Amino acid sequence: MRVPLERKVLNENDRIAAGLRERFQRGGVFCLNLISSPGSGKTALLERTLEGFDASRRMAVLTGDIQTDNDARRLARFGFPVRQITTGGACHLDARMVERALEGWRVEELEILFLENVGNLVCPTSYDLGEEARAVLLSVTEGEDKPLKYPATFHHADLMVLNKIDLLPYVPFQAALACENARRVQPEIEILEVSCTSGQGLDGWRAWLEARL
Amino acid sequence: MPLQYGLHEMSIAAAVLDAVRAETRLHGGARATRAGLRIGELSGVEPESLRFCLESLVAGDDLEPLAFDIETRPWTRRCLDCGAEFRVVEYNTACSGCGSAHTEAAGGDEMELSYLELEEPGCASRSNEKS
Repeated sequence: MRVPLERKVLNENDRIAAGLRERFQRGGVFCLNLISSPGSGKTALLERTLEGFDASRRMAVLTGDIQTDNDARRLARFGFPVRQITTGGACHLDARMVERALEGWRVEELEILFLENVGNLVCPTSYDLGEEARAVLLSVTEGEDKPLKYPATFHHADLMVLNKIDLLPYVPFQAALACENARRVQPEIEILEVSCTSGQGLDGWRAWLEARL
Repeated sequence: MPLQYGLHEMSIAAAVLDAVRAETRLHGGARATRAGLRIGELSGVEPESLRFCLESLVAGDDLEPLAFDIETRPWTRRCLDCGAEFRVVEYNTACSGCGSAHTEAAGGDEMELSYLELEEPGCASRSNEKS
């Protein structure tokens, strides 16, 4: 007997993510899921972001890694609430990990919740975390063809942050080609170019965030 | 708590088996012999890797011998001018019918359990009663 179904494989994750999204929306919290390869600069971008916000702002970060709480320690210096999610092997964050990590926080009072995913351009794509927007970071020390190699990740992103642009004079990376490739897999994607070292473009990034509040 | 594995397709495979168990419970505990899956080109899941992981997890499990039928779904977009739904080939997101660049996402991120083949409920127990 064949029973036709339309059950999403990750429906348990999606159910928890929907609950988180409702909480965020009720509280007017802008939740951003940050995805990239290891070493593209997610933590550095968050350091520069938190550093630029006045201490009265209500920002928080959940940062995911397979092991260590190094990122949480780096980010906690700015005085905003930060929690490390150590996945213990899992290559991505899922909604249940986020829900657990938020326990005890008055999430509804936040302005922005940053979810720094595990450094990986494949696995985080499939897992809805209840975020309002998804940003993928690409750095100029990688290949311009990353959007074509990992189309699912770029296709599901609202924003691409091209990082480390201070290194452009020293690497053969063609920024225009990388942007063109990102638009091929996601014609609606927004693109910002930044350097977390020189600070170039960070005003545009902060303005992008503020426009979402 | 679902099993977690470093390998992406392994955690997806574990979620597939959870979904199979949940659906068989909804259907009176009938035994599933075959599960149909629909995997989109944009889902981030590699079908052959998923099949390997599913078969590895089912071996020795109470779901054995469960077979899998994986259907790959294409990346498609819908034209906002002519309404056609078309397959995206070579990352070309312009409409293949009228050439318009005004298109929106349509399909390709599916990751679904599309059917289950179940043994007729109660067959085994009825034959036991007779004997």
